[in-house]
Formats: sequence, C-alpha cells, structure tokens
Amino acid sequence: MQFNYGDAITICPIIFMATLSLFLLVIDASIKKSANAAYWLTLAGLAIAASLTPYTYFASGNAFGGMVFTGRFPAFFDIVFITSAALTVFLSKSYLEKEGAHFGEYYALVIFGTIGMMLMASARDLIILFLGLELLSISLYVLAGYLRTDSKSNEASLKYFLLGAFATGFLLYGIALIYGTAGSTNLAVVLSRIATLQSNVVFWIGATFVFIGLGFKVSAVPFHMWVPDVYEGSPTIVSGFMSTGGKAAAFSGLVLVFSYSVHPTWQLQLIIAYVAAFTMLTGNIIAIVQQNIKRMLAYSSIAHAGYALVGIAAANDLGRTGVMYYMLAYTFMQIGAFGVVSLLESKEGRFLSLTDYEGLAYDRPFIAALMAIFMFSLAGLPPFAGFFGKYYLFASAVQANMTWLAIIGVLASIISVYFYIGVVVNMYFKELPEGIAKADISKIGVIALIVAAALTIELGITPGFVVGFTQKLF
Amino acid sequence: MYHYIAWVVVFPIFGVIINGILGSTLQKKFGEKFVGVIGSATIGFSFLLALGIFLDMLGEPETSRSHIVEVYRWIATGGLTVNVSYLVDQLSIVMLLIVTGVSFLIHIYSIGYMHGDRGVFRFFTYLNLFVFAMLNLVLADNYLLMFLGWEGVGLCSYLLIGFWYDRKFGGVGITWTGDAGMKAFIVNRIGDFAFLIGMFLIFVNFGSFNFEAIFPGISARFGSGDATLTWITLLLFIGATGKSAQIPLYVWLPDAMAGPTPVSALIHAATMVTAGVYMIGRSAVLYALSPTTMLIVAIVGATTAIYAASMGLVQNDIKKILAYSTISQLGYMFLAMGVGAFSAGIFHLMTHAFFKALLFLGAGAVIHALHESQDIREMGGLKNFMPVTYKTFLMASLAISGIPPLAGFFSKDEILSHVYASSLWLWLVGVVTAFLTAFYIFRLFILTFEGKPRFDVHHLHVHDAPRSMLLPLWVLGILSIVGGWVGIPTSLGGGEWFDKFLEPVFDPAVARMPSIFFVEHSTEYILMVFSVLLAVGGIYLAYTAYLRKPEISAKIKSAVGDFYDVLINKYYVDEIYRAIIVKPLVYVSDRYLWRGIDETAIDGSVNGIGKFVRLVGRIGRRLQSGLVQNYILAFVLGIIIIMGYLILK
Amino acid sequence: MISAHILTLLIFTPLVGGVLLLFFRNESVVKSIAILFSAADVALAIYLYLSFDPAGNQFQFVEEMPWITNLNISYHLGIDGISLLLVSLTTLLTLVSLVASWSSIQKRVKAFNFFILFLEVGMIGVFSSLDLFLFYIFWEAMLIPMYFIIGIWGHERRVYAAIKFFIYTMFGSLLMLVAIIWLGYYAGTLPQGKFTTNLVELYKIAPTIPLSVQTWMFLAFTLSFAIKVPVFPLHTWLPDAHTEAPMAGSVLLAGVLLKMGTYGLLRFSLPLFPQSTFIFLPLMAILAIIGILYGALVSMVQKDLKKLVAYSSVAHLGFVVLGIFAITIESIQGSVIQMVNHGFTTGMLFLLVGMLYDRRHTREINEFGGLAKVVPLLATFFMIAMLGSIGLPGLNGFVGEFLILLGSFKSEFLGNEAYAIAATLGVILAAVYMLWMYQRVFFKTVDNPRNQSLKDLDVREVAVLVVMVLFIIWIGIYPMTFLSKSEPAVKALVDTMARAKIGVLTSVR
Repeated sequence: MQFNYGDAITICPIIFMATLSLFLLVIDASIKKSANAAYWLTLAGLAIAASLTPYTYFASGNAFGGMVFTGRFPAFFDIVFITSAALTVFLSKSYLEKEGAHFGEYYALVIFGTIGMMLMASARDLIILFLGLELLSISLYVLAGYLRTDSKSNEASLKYFLLGAFATGFLLYGIALIYGTAGSTNLAVVLSRIATLQSNVVFWIGATFVFIGLGFKVSAVPFHMWVPDVYEGSPTIVSGFMSTGGKAAAFSGLVLVFSYSVHPTWQLQLIIAYVAAFTMLTGNIIAIVQQNIKRMLAYSSIAHAGYALVGIAAANDLGRTGVMYYMLAYTFMQIGAFGVVSLLESKEGRFLSLTDYEGLAYDRPFIAALMAIFMFSLAGLPPFAGFFGKYYLFASAVQANMTWLAIIGVLASIISVYFYIGVVVNMYFKELPEGIAKADISKIGVIALIVAAALTIELGITPGFVVGFTQKLF
Repeated sequence: MYHYIAWVVVFPIFGVIINGILGSTLQKKFGEKFVGVIGSATIGFSFLLALGIFLDMLGEPETSRSHIVEVYRWIATGGLTVNVSYLVDQLSIVMLLIVTGVSFLIHIYSIGYMHGDRGVFRFFTYLNLFVFAMLNLVLADNYLLMFLGWEGVGLCSYLLIGFWYDRKFGGVGITWTGDAGMKAFIVNRIGDFAFLIGMFLIFVNFGSFNFEAIFPGISARFGSGDATLTWITLLLFIGATGKSAQIPLYVWLPDAMAGPTPVSALIHAATMVTAGVYMIGRSAVLYALSPTTMLIVAIVGATTAIYAASMGLVQNDIKKILAYSTISQLGYMFLAMGVGAFSAGIFHLMTHAFFKALLFLGAGAVIHALHESQDIREMGGLKNFMPVTYKTFLMASLAISGIPPLAGFFSKDEILSHVYASSLWLWLVGVVTAFLTAFYIFRLFILTFEGKPRFDVHHLHVHDAPRSMLLPLWVLGILSIVGGWVGIPTSLGGGEWFDKFLEPVFDPAVARMPSIFFVEHSTEYILMVFSVLLAVGGIYLAYTAYLRKPEISAKIKSAVGDFYDVLINKYYVDEIYRAIIVKPLVYVSDRYLWRGIDETAIDGSVNGIGKFVRLVGRIGRRLQSGLVQNYILAFVLGIIIIMGYLILK
Repeated sequence: MISAHILTLLIFTPLVGGVLLLFFRNESVVKSIAILFSAADVALAIYLYLSFDPAGNQFQFVEEMPWITNLNISYHLGIDGISLLLVSLTTLLTLVSLVASWSSIQKRVKAFNFFILFLEVGMIGVFSSLDLFLFYIFWEAMLIPMYFIIGIWGHERRVYAAIKFFIYTMFGSLLMLVAIIWLGYYAGTLPQGKFTTNLVELYKIAPTIPLSVQTWMFLAFTLSFAIKVPVFPLHTWLPDAHTEAPMAGSVLLAGVLLKMGTYGLLRFSLPLFPQSTFIFLPLMAILAIIGILYGALVSMVQKDLKKLVAYSSVAHLGFVVLGIFAITIESIQGSVIQMVNHGFTTGMLFLLVGMLYDRRHTREINEFGGLAKVVPLLATFFMIAMLGSIGLPGLNGFVGEFLILLGSFKSEFLGNEAYAIAATLGVILAAVYMLWMYQRVFFKTVDNPRNQSLKDLDVREVAVLVVMVLFIIWIGIYPMTFLSKSEPAVKALVDTMARAKIGVLTSVR
C-alpha cells in the first residue's frame, strides 16, 4: 500500500509532534544551554499540536489501511495528553532548575511519551496500540530516572522498567492469542467476528492478558505495586505526567479494546469489576497511613484508576463517557496536586512529608487555596470536576446492574475523604511552625496551577460541555 | 360592658412591658415607689374594670349572664382551631374579682414590703405577669388558653420563688431559693404532663378545646361513668394536684416559701394554687359524669387536708405553717368538689383567699419587723409592738378556724354539710382537720403575739409596718369577717346568695350527678354546733398548751415521741422522692446514657471503624516491601487468580 | 423580573458578596460587605415571603433551565410553603450570626466572612432545589465551608470535630447519591421514560417502584437525612461539632443545617417512598422518642454549657421527626414551625453561650454562678430563650411541640397514643435540664472572683438578641403568620400519604 497524504493530514498532530521531538533532539545536540530554548519551543509546539487536533476531530475515519483512525475519540484524548504534557512542561522548568537537572532532552522525552499516548488513543489495531504503549513506556522509564544523581530516581526507573517489561510480555501474548483465535489484530475485524468468538475460551484468555497488560499501566490492583516506589522516586513533576497522561493513554487503550471492540463477557466484566473494587479500596486504605505526600498521591492515583475501571467494567456508553470525562478532570486535579508539591519541594526534600504542610495557608495562602481545591476535587466533592467524574462512573455501574460496585466506590471515596482533607487540616487548621523560611515558588509555575484549578472548577460547573465530546468513537 | 374584658387582661401586660423594659432606669430615676405604683395601678385598673363588668352582669337576667368575647385566632391548622377568646360568666367573674382584688391589695402591700430592694422593678414585672397569666387561666373559653395561663402562673411562681436568687434556703436537696423555684416548676410540669395528655384526649374525642363545644350536649355522647371521661377528668385532676399542691405533688409548696412573703400570699395562698379547684369547677360537667374521678378527688382532697394539717402542727417556721395550712385548706376545697359541692368549693376558695392572704401578709409584717426571722420560737409578745398586725391576724385566725360569723365558718360549714351528706368517713376527716386547723393556727398565733418576747427587744426596734402595708391588712381583715356573709345558709335565715349566683354555671353539672344529697336543717344545726365546738376546742387546747401551761406541749411532744420526728420531717416524703427518682435518674443518665452509650458504645464503634481501616492500611503498607521480586509475585498471583476464575467459571 | 429569578438572586447574592470581600484588606470593610450582602438577602427573603401565595401552586417562583442536557439534569428551583419558611430563616440567621461575630472573630476575618456567605449559598440552595442532582450538589458543597468554619475558628478539639462532622455527613450523603442515580435510571427504564432527577416528575414515578427496591431507596435517603438531623443513634457528631464550632458556626449548624435533615425527610423520603415509609414509620417514631428522652437526659448531666445546648438539640429535633412521621397536618405543621422555632431558640442560646464565652473564655458550668447579678441583661435574654426552648405557652416552642404531640396523639399512621405520651415526658425533662443549668449559671451568688467584673451586653449584641426575641414571642402569640404559609404544602403531603396508604398510588402500577 502506498503512502497517502490524506491519511497524513488526518493524523497531522502526531506527525507534527514527531517532527517537533526530532527537532528538539537536534537543537539539544547542536546548541549549548539549549534548555530554555527547548522549554519555550516545546510549549509553543504543544500549543500548535493542540490547535491541530480539530483536523483529527472532523476528519473522522480510518487511515493507513485501518491501522489508525481519527475522529472524536482520538481528538478528545489528544487534548487530554497535550494538556497533561503542557502542564507538565510548564511546571518542569522551575522544578528541574531547582533539582539542577534542566536539560533540553527532557522535553524531547516528554514529547516522545506524548506521541506514544496519542498513538494509543488512535489505534485501530492492537499492534499500533502496542507500539504506542512501548514508545510511551520507554520514554517514561527514562524520565523516571531523569535525576541521575538521585539514587531513588534510579531505583524508580529500574523497578518501572523491570515490571513494565514483564507486563508488556503479557500484553504481547494476549495480542498473539487474540490474533490466533480471531485471525486478526485489527479491532474492527475482531469486533465483526466477536459473535463467533463468544464461547472461545482461548480468545478470552487473550483478552484478559491484554487487560492485564494495560491494567499494569493504569496501576490496577494487584499490578499496582510499582506505583508508590516509582512515583516517589521519579521527579515529582514526572510522577504527575505518568499518573495523568500515562494513565489516560492506557485507559484510552482499555476503552478501545474492551468498550468499542471486544465487548467483554459477563465473566470478564465481573473480573474487571472485582479488580476495580480492590483497586479503589486498596489505594484509598493504604493512602490513609502514608506520611510522604508523593506516596499518598501515588496511592490515591491507584484508587482513581479503580474508579475509572468501574467505567470499563460497566462497558456501556455512560461508562465510556465516565472514563473519558474522568481522565480529563483527573489530569487537571492530579497534575495540579503534583504541581503544588513540585513547586514547593526543596532540594533538601522539604514539603515531601505531609507534616511540612502545616500552616501553609498562613505562609502561602494562595497556593494552599489551590491545593485545597485539588484535594476537594480528588475527594470528589461538588462542585468540582472530581465529583462529576465519579458521578458518571458510578452511574454507569448502576446502569450496568452493578450497584454493588457503585456502593463500594462510594465507601472507598469516604475513606479517601479522610486523607485528602487531612492535607487541608494540615494546611489550614494547624498553626505555622515558628521560624520557618517562607517557601519560595516560581511565578510561572503558579500560572499552570491556576489554569488547572480554574478548569477543575469549570468542568465541575458545566460538565455537560465536555461530555458532549465523549459520546461517539468517530 | 363585658366587651371590655380583654382590657382587664391587657392592663397587667402594660405593667410588664413598662417595668420589664424601662424598669431599671425608672427605678434609678424616680425610685422604687414609682415602679411599684405603676405595677399596682395597672392591676387597680383591671380590678375596677372587672368590678364594672360584675355590676353590669348583676343587671342582666340570670339566664343570659354568660358571654364569649373573641379576641383573635391563635392557632389554626388541620382540624385544630384555637382562639384567644374569653368566657365571661358568673364563675369567671367571681375568680376575676378575687384575683384582681387580692392582687391589687398585695401589690400595694408589696410597695412597702419590697422597699429598699434593688430589684423592685423586676418584682413588679413578675407580679404583673402573674396576674396576666392568672387572668387568662380563669377567663379562657378553651382548655388550651387555660393551659397557657396554667403554665404562665407556674413560670411566675418559679421566677418569684427564686426572686432572691442569691439567698440560701434550707430544704431537702435545696440550698438556694432558686432550687425551690426549680422544684416548684418541675413538680408542676409533672402535673402538666398529665394535663396535656388529658387535653389530647379531649381533642380526640370532641375535636375542639372550646368549653361550649364540649360541655353542652355531652351527656348525649357519654353516659355517666364513661371510661374516656374518667381518663380525661383523672388526667386533668393530676394536673390540678400539681398546681394546687395536693397529694402526691404537694411537695413543692412548702419550699415555695422561699419567695418574698407577698408572693406567698398572692400566688401560693390566694390565687394560683386555687387554679386546680377552679379548673374542676369549670369542667364540673365532665366531673359530674365521672363518679370514679369524683370519688378520687374527694378522697385525695380529704387525705391531703388532714395530712397537711398534721404536718402544720409541729412546724416552727411561721411561713411553713401557713404553707401546710394552705395545702390543707386546698384539700378542703377538693373535698368539696369531689362530693359535688362545686359552689361550696368556690365559696371556700374565695373566703380562703381573704383570710389566708391576710395571714401571710401579717406574717410578712412580722418577719419584716423581726428582720427576716421566721422562727416562731424566737417571737412572742408581738401584740404590744404591732397592734394592727395583731388585730388583723386574729381576725384571720378566727376566720380560718371557722368561728362564726367570720368568713371561714360559712364556707367550711357548707362544705362539711355536703360531705356529711355523701360520706360519713370523709366528714369525720373534715371535722378532725377543722380541729387541727384551729389548733395549729392558734399555736402559731399565740407563740407569735402572746406571751413574753423571745427576741432581743433592745436591739430590734419592732413596730407596725408603714400605713401602705397596713391598709391591705385592714381591708382583708374586714373581708375575712364579712366575706362569708354572701353565703349564709337558709338554715340560718340567709339567702345562699353566692350559690344562687353560681347556680347557672353548676346546674348542668349538678343535674348530671348520679345522686344529689340533701341535709335536713335539723342535722345541719347539729353539724354546725359540732364543728364550732371542735374549733373552739382546738383554740382552747392551743391556748393552754402554749400560753397557760407550756409544759403540756412538752408533755405531748414526748408522748408522741418518734411520731413527732416523723411530722417535723414531713413524713420524709421529700427524702423518699429524692432517693427513688432524682438521684437514680441523674446517675443513670451520667454513668450509662452519656458515658456508657454515647461516648463508649456509639462513638467507640464509630472511631473503631476508623481505627480498623487504618490498621488494614498499615498491613497493606507492610506488603509494599520495595522488593521487585515480591511485586512480581503479587503480579503472578493476581494473574493466577484471575485466570482461574475465568476458566473455572 | 425580580420574582422571575428571585431564588437565583437569593442563592447567589451571598456568593457575589463573598467574592467581592476578598478584594478588601480592611477588616471592618470586609465585615460590612458581608453584612450588607446577607442583609440584602434578608430583604429579598422578605419580598419572597410577602409575595408567596399559599393558595397558589404547590411550587412557586419556579426557575428551570437545562444544565447537563445529556443527563437531562436541569437547574430547577422552586419553593413551597415549607421551603419558604426555612429559606427565610436561613437568611435571617446568617445575618444574625455575621453581626454577632463582629468582634468575637479575631483571626482570619476575611476568610470567615467568605465561608459564612459561601455556606449561605449552599443552605438556600438546598431548600430551593427541585432537582435531586442540584439538591445534592448544594447539600455536599455546603459541607466545605462549615468544615472550615469549625476547623479554623473552633475551640480546642476543633480538628477532631471538623473531620468527624465531615466524614459522618459524607457517609450518609454518598449513599444517597447512589440512590439518586438509581432513581434516575429507574425513571429511564419506564415506557417512554428517560433518565431524570426532576423531583416533580419523580414524585409521580418513585412511588411505583417495587417495594423491595423502594425500601433500599428509602433507607439510603433517610440514612443521610437521619445523620443530618440527627436521629439517635447517629447523633454523636453533633455534640462535638456544636461544641467546638465558633458561635456563628453553632448558630448556623443548629439553626439551619439540622433542618436540612428534617426538610429532606419531608421533601424526599416520605413523598417519594410512601410505601416503605409506612414500613419504617414505627421504627423512626421510636428512634425519635428515644432521641427526645435520651437527648434530654444526657444534656441534663453535661458539664459543658455548649454541650448541654447541643444535646438539647437532639431532643428538640426528636420532636420534629416524630411530628413528621405522625403524618397528620397538625403534627407536620408542628414540625415545620418547630424547625423554625429551634432555629431561633437554640440559635439564640448558642449566641448567648458564645457571648458568655467571649467574656469568660470558658464553657464549664461550674465556673459560673450568680451571673444574673453581674450581667442582668444577658441573664434576662437567656431566660427568654430558655423558656422558648422548654416550650412555655405563649412562646414559640410551645406551638411547635403542642401541635406535634397533639398530631401524633391522634395520628392513625402511628395508631397508638403511647408514642405521643412517651414523647410528652420530654416536656418535663426539658424543664429539668434547662432550669438546673440556669440555676447553676445565673442564680446563686458570685463565688468565682473571675466572674466579678464581667461586662454586660453591648448595643450590638442586644440588637441581635432582640431580633431573636421578637420572633420567639411572635411565633408564640401569633403563629398564624407562619402556619398559614406552610399549611397547603403540608396538607398536600398528608393527602398524598393518605392516598398511598389506601393504595391508590400502588394500584396505578
């Protein structure tokens, strides 16, 4: 089959990003002290990429012989990924400078990761899905260990890599089994043959392996063990990126496979439901006893994966909407939370322990207010975005006659309230300790946070708007 | 004229508002007298207006003397409609005159009595508020409004008993006057609890609280002795035992003496405590149809009468004696009501209001003169120091002892003759009580006024009270003499004017009584002579025992021995109540309900859940060892379980 | 124009004020803005009150505009007589507590005023939403400000109290959320039905839900309301929250927040699930009675003045719940008026306790004694509030309690006088704990030197209290002003329940 420009146009954001990343590499190699240039360049690039997404949105259809597709779904997720990347980049500069590791290739890596994500979201073929996942994973492995001098960072990178590789194996094996039984890796084709495959155990084993492979990425219990160590070790801002963009990508994959193509049998649905339940509970319960805020956020991100999995388990329109809406909302609040940490965090590691946040409201009232918003949103209180995310997901469960799952979700979120408002307690209800230096923060980073917070509220007040984009695949 | 009835009620409220809001400033600016005058004037107006309405009523034909004056709609929702509207008839007008009249006198008395107290304005505010409530009680044309007055007077009694809240007062479980007030209010509330239930029953059965909706045509719906009516009347009566200090809820009245003496005179002798009697009189029709309740009322009344009198015999606190005497006299009234002698009961209510108020005011004058000393053992020989008080007090004492032709004689005699007609036993109790009454009142009288002074004559310059306080004494004194003449029985050539006047009110009730008793004039004479003899005997005994041969009293004391202690300790009833109700309630609430259920059981489990979750969290944290091998292990285990489920299911 | 969007105005005026005051530094300016805007809300409420027509439709001043179209959720407001009373109460109490806290809040004044106004938004929203989803949003959103108010400006154990309050309430309400979702879907499953959270529509649909499920729905809703009320044994958050909260917090907690529970029962639990209501009716009545007696007995033995008042709320709300489940016009009218009463009396008691605390910095009853001599004005106001709260005829408390008891006594739904009789015992106990406390605090002599030189109320405090007193007396002697407004709504509810009882609604199925 020959190259087709029309196809190229439809995936222009991906192509643009690719060129951008290569360009970044080049200038990084050629110019000294390119970091700042790369920083601005990346931001600009992401802005352009975002402005290109409408093409994908309207030019809906298959491309490249049905390997990738374009339309509402990819466009929506592209926005999620680009926002995630943009916010990350925005916050990275000040953070990396603080950590003394501000180099150009960092941005290239972020972009590579983003490309991987975008590929996953537009994959119409399991191979592309795999491709995207690998691209994403590898750049994240590197980013995780980006602070070369920091042993924790290295440890994180290594653990992530080892377990990631292990998981990828299962994904591949799953794909293989599906190919073997369905005779194709193309999701559309699989969908067309699904009826005949219903009773085929091997096929379902394959499907389950795929779920496990992706489940690892979204940190579903019991494949979540890497998350706390990795998030804690990685550069804070990278953790933010992983837990939002990375997770969103994996979820886009899950939706594509399980919601649009391989509609799971009741058994598999139940398996996913149980996994979701355990994920929600485990994440929240262990989060309660954390002292380190990054670990706490890590566990909370596990829990949130659980909430989103509810939508996958429900496997209905509302579930899909829920997952997609949630990923967007979650991106803002989670990066916001990590962003606050990254802004405050000092090289000596102050503001990593929860107790460091005591009286923050009277030292940095504005930052504290933002953090409070993110916390309440993560806890799922109206009128913040987090609430509606949960609402759609639990609603999907009810619609799928899984009210019990909704109730578990509800109980889990009550547990979560405890540690989220725990942060608020420290910031507002405790007095500022004597003789503490005023935490210094970069203005530019704050802007990113304001944006995140604003959107967290906005999504909460008019959820309908976003939901409108999540209805159809193409 | 009766259209203006609302004003009778409203005047006192003016007093409340003026003194309540501006009182402290007025008192500072124009002195206590000014405040007092305002307080008294408002009541004075009410009294005059009431008098006008009364005279006006006398002009009306007997049959059309009952009027209802609607003021406004109070509560109306669903099936319930209650108006603030007043019923002016023979019964309420009598009460109206007693209340406003006596109140007016006592207000005037108080101006002098309360002289020099920083809270005079407060005192008169409360006093006016009391009159307001009392007037609502006696004028209400429905039970709910009556209940408003009923509880309102209770409140004022509470406020006034504890008026000197910073003074100590001795009693069982009582150290401050406030405690006494509290006791009064709570004991009354216990009665009101029953009263409320009674009212609910009334509403369920009659769909209204209005008298004119209940009484007429009642016998069409309920036969005599109907269980519902019995319950209603019984419950209302329990309410009455609280308000009118009858067994078993009488305990608050003796302690109520903690209040200033005018209060004791007005509230705890003349007016409020008679509310129960009035209530039964008002509901006479209901009671007439429930003989069981009537019997209970009679028995409780009789028992209370003699029981209280017995305690009155040995008390040494001048006011306590009068308190027990009041309880006993109220018993008399209930006895009358119980045997269906409604008008007799009201009659005694009136005369008693006169002489008992007088006794209290006299006692107050004495206490005042002796600088707050109330122990009759430290008095004596006061007649030379306080002649007026002495004379008036004597009038009252004779009146209460039932010596003809004083007020007490006629009312008491009328009651006794009715009782005799219905039950010999109750009559015996009645006359014995009469004897005891005569004895203890004269014991009090003699120990106070006769004999040698037992107080420090040189340091205390004891003298009669100022004129403003003596005037009420005189007026009441005269009333204690002539007050009874409105009810001279036909047997003595009288016209029983009082009974005739009230007849229209009570006839429906009396007509429904299962049996009505008549006594021949001949028997009536015998009864009179008998009771008079007993009274004289009592007086004579007191005279000898406490003046001529004091050793006799000592002899009696030693003779009865332990029983004397029982009496002086009021049969230990307060102690018993305290031991079996108050103490356990507090203990259980504190130990079990609060600390037990609330803090341990409920909060314990609530926090327990939290603790449990944290515990699970800690365990989960342990599993997070940081070793990749373990992570892989978990990973694999997970896969095995999932696959197992997938394949096996 | 105004009356077309008056509810929206009512809800968001405070928010505007709250945001506006963030831009000012000067504390008294901030306070004035807050007071100004809440006063404006009071004005609006008065207008609302006067223009509400009892004879008119059940819901008035209705506003409806689509909000989340794809879920058929709309911004749907409207009030009936019951909400009217509570909305008015809310605006008034907010203003009162702002004025009252003028000097008693020293630190973080700006934030405080912001949160109070923020809270008012939530409270009014709850009382005027006709969409379950919208209702839920307000219901939850309101937790945040109250949580901060308790946590930042509270007393010693404020953090514990705040978290306890937050999680306790959240627990119930999240289950309610699931129930709301379920209801919406049930509506969707009906022939040509679609997902809806529109209350007016659900009034028609919900009662037809199969009883087995309806029961769960009822429990889910009622649990969250029962926690808010609170109904025994879910009340233990209350004493802590009320005691630890600052004056204004306690006033609004007791005055308004508790009413949301009882309001919820009236607005949702009963009319939506009549059949299951009848099943749980005896249970609820018994719990209510336990609340009445238990609350009274426990508050009798409290050593902390504020805790005593707090526990008394449990008793008072017990009356309200009993009245609601007696399902007679009298009793429910009583409950409604009692909600208002409790707002004024208990609110006033909390104000007074707070004023006492401002002067003396303790709430220990034993620390006081003889105060009537030192602070006569305060003592007098306290006496009035106390009498109102123990239900003295002629003051507000009596009207409510009497109607409730009378109604429950004659109620066919309860079908047994024993309930009412047991509840009436509470009337005695109320006198016991209140009078005893008053005796120990205000009577006797001043034996504690620290009480010697307390200064009496100032003009501002008096002004605030006079407002409360006026209502306490007004409701006492002329309750018709208020009863007449809520009568039709209550009657409608009772009729619905009566019809459900004889099974008309069920036969429609």
